[in-house]
Amino acid sequence: MTIASNDAVTVAADDTPRGASLRRYVAVKAGGALISLAMVVVLGFFAFRVLPGDPVRTMTQGRQVTPEQLEGLRRQLGLDDPLLVQFWNYLRDLATGDLGQSYVYKNSSVAELIADRLLPTLLLTGTAAAISVVLGLWLGQRTAWRRGSWFDKVHTGLALTFWSVPTFWLGLLLLLVFGGGLGWFPTTGMTTAGAGYTGVEHVLDVAHHLVLPVITMVAVVYAQYLMVMRASVLEEMHSDYLTTARAKGLRDDLVRTRHAVPNALLPTVTLIFLTVGGLVGGAVTVESVFSWPGLGYLTYQALSEPDLPLLQGTFVVFSAIVILMNFVADLVYRVLDPRLRSA
Amino acid sequence: MSESATPPDEAAALEWRDVTVTYGARVRADADTARTVAVADLSLRVERGGTVGIAGESGCGKSTLVSTVLRLLPRSADVAGQVLLDGEDVGAMTWGRLRAVRWAEASIVFQGAMHALNPVRTVRHQVAEALELHLAKAYPTDAARSARVDELLALVDLPAAKAASYPHELSGGQKQRVMIAMALVCDPDVIIADEPTTALDVVVQAQVLEVLAGLVRERGLTLVMISHDLAVLAAVCERIVVMREGRIVEEGPSRRVLDAPEHPHTRELAAAFPVIGDPASRRPARAAGEPVLPTGDDAALLEVRDLVVDFRARGTTIRAVDHVSLACAPGEIVALVGQSGSGKTTLARAVLGLQQPTSGEVAYAGKPLPRRRAALTAYRRAVQFVLQDPSASLNPKHTVYDAVAEGLRIHKVADEEARVRQALTQAELTPPEAFFGAIPSELSGGQRQRVVIAGALALEPTFLVADEPVASLDASVRGEILDLLLRLNRELGLGALVITHDLGLAWNIADRVVVMHQGRIVENGTCEQVLLDPQHDYTKSLLAVVPSALEVRA
Repeated sequence: MTIASNDAVTVAADDTPRGASLRRYVAVKAGGALISLAMVVVLGFFAFRVLPGDPVRTMTQGRQVTPEQLEGLRRQLGLDDPLLVQFWNYLRDLATGDLGQSYVYKNSSVAELIADRLLPTLLLTGTAAAISVVLGLWLGQRTAWRRGSWFDKVHTGLALTFWSVPTFWLGLLLLLVFGGGLGWFPTTGMTTAGAGYTGVEHVLDVAHHLVLPVITMVAVVYAQYLMVMRASVLEEMHSDYLTTARAKGLRDDLVRTRHAVPNALLPTVTLIFLTVGGLVGGAVTVESVFSWPGLGYLTYQALSEPDLPLLQGTFVVFSAIVILMNFVADLVYRVLDPRLRSA
Repeated sequence: MSESATPPDEAAALEWRDVTVTYGARVRADADTARTVAVADLSLRVERGGTVGIAGESGCGKSTLVSTVLRLLPRSADVAGQVLLDGEDVGAMTWGRLRAVRWAEASIVFQGAMHALNPVRTVRHQVAEALELHLAKAYPTDAARSARVDELLALVDLPAAKAASYPHELSGGQKQRVMIAMALVCDPDVIIADEPTTALDVVVQAQVLEVLAGLVRERGLTLVMISHDLAVLAAVCERIVVMREGRIVEEGPSRRVLDAPEHPHTRELAAAFPVIGDPASRRPARAAGEPVLPTGDDAALLEVRDLVVDFRARGTTIRAVDHVSLACAPGEIVALVGQSGSGKTTLARAVLGLQQPTSGEVAYAGKPLPRRRAALTAYRRAVQFVLQDPSASLNPKHTVYDAVAEGLRIHKVADEEARVRQALTQAELTPPEAFFGAIPSELSGGQRQRVVIAGALALEPTFLVADEPVASLDASVRGEILDLLLRLNRELGLGALVITHDLGLAWNIADRVVVMHQGRIVENGTCEQVLLDPQHDYTKSLLAVVPSALEVRA
């Protein structure tokens, strides 16, 4: 038949080399991420200049200072320069990795402070994120598959209740009951002060300190993964390909895990990475309640001054983490969805 | 098996005994219509090696009926009576037994392979999955299963390389072939094909039917096929069963049912797929006093001159419309026919000013189509558009009144309500006031398409561009909408460019038929000339694969 060429045309159009297409995709997404980061850098500078409060006054609080001394301090910090000059200096320093000098922690640079605090924050939020994602996704697909069952009702109800609870309140409650009252877990910090543990003992000590903050974070955030995964599976529930899978004779749980879940994961993944990035920022409350020596706690302290260079620094770092996570989400999405690979 | 009256060797491959299927009322608020009866006390026997076609409109219960074979109905469905697969009562099977029977003894080629294949799994994975489940002993390794997948793809005329593809990388016809390969993978005795070729264009439909019919013949399979198109069924099946409202209304050899239908409903179904060349399905001849067709191109109302539309994608240019010239006289109905991908929809978009042509021009009443927005607005008032699927083209949240009045508001036409009333009346939605407040989901498919047409009529256009205006409608509704279009043509002198892949539709209503192939017009002439005495090879091959013209198995 002369007219059967239609099939061939559609397929030929798809046959772009996969490698080239992948490089292009990564380049476009990376470019987007870098532009976002540049915007953050600019915004970070000006946003904090709008904050109320005079850092020089806060720094000198409770001490006798002459106007001349204040003026001198201002000049020293570069606060008397025009805003654009300050901005230029900020950009120039940033290019060399110098985030400036903290107003409050006089002897440390912002970069050092952040480097010190980054690891504890990543440990706390990373653990909490991993647990809440796994728990949320697993419960989400189970509740959707048995929609309307007691399992569904109990778990969605419970998750939504925790979701509605204020983080600091739950943290304080856990702190009071399991830390103060029962004394099962330590109440502050990441390590037992003065114990000087090493090796395995150190790891166990940190893990012991980690329990309550992680539980607080997980309890408050896992609901969003549960609800999104549940909605996403429900959307796939009546898909024709699931009927095909059933007609093939697959057991019900195989229909779920092999066919429904991979498809339901697609919209969920983007959300996971978006919110995991956000979790790092959300650590402010939990870290403050448990005095966890992380970035969130540092930000909280910087905000009360306001310690402008430190705030700028943490703001840029938090934003960079969120942007990086979105970038990773784009990459993972492409791996999961074959339809995006040729796009 | 409890009380098998027939000895096993006489058992039919598939048999329904007094089967009634009702759907639960949980979704419905009114308790009066507590349960909907989808299949009513139906008995049907399909002998080993038999091929039976089940015909009927959507909602007649045909899909529900075949879903009982593998117990695939949702929990809200209640099945009474017996479904016997090779003499064994499907309803009495344990879950384990049922899973073993599924696909191994009976498999299904689902409707719309587009959705019936998992989008994130490769073809190989999906076809091999059933082997892994049912024939793990015969095909113990991945290599053995892969070899079997390749073998099956060859059987449905697909290259083995397609096994590594994902569904979105295949065309509609290829997906349907994969579905057929998948259904055959475990060598079942019974194959159920649920509208296997709906949504495919005629040429691909013919290819898929050929593959299916060939396999059934060679392997002596038992086939139950569902379609709303009698001619498609007749091309593959020996026997046709016509269903309506859950019951069988007619049953007999395919040839007889097609040529001499007894039940009025069968006749209705048959009429929806007209036999080209049959004067009975041709539009009535124009009577005296009606607008006389002008001859000669200078009188053309709408003219396309040497139009070219290119699409650029990643450096390669695809020419969708290739130097096309076309003229429509006032009051003339022109059918633009072609396969999907022939460029007919792009041409229509260019005619409506929705697609900027690469070169060439569209002229209306002698004047070239303006490029400025304001001037285009005036043009669009005169030339209106009716889309294929009314459920998709109507905003689900807008009432009928808003949908019809929207065009009037855009064009700032006074006397809105009177015009809406008049348009609805012309579209035969009477009394119009009764429909004002309705939203699309409260209307039937035919009523929705009438609302779309009323929306176009409200602006009193002189020309209508209709893209597959009846493709999504049931047989009986299709006839009504076509009658409406013809009446508007007769009474209002409304001309139309009807885009379709359905040559039967062209035969039904068109004055002139234009055949488009790979962006070019290959044939252009009166309906009778083009369809009864085609000159171009492409037109001939299109006509050759129209099911009603296919050779019917006796």
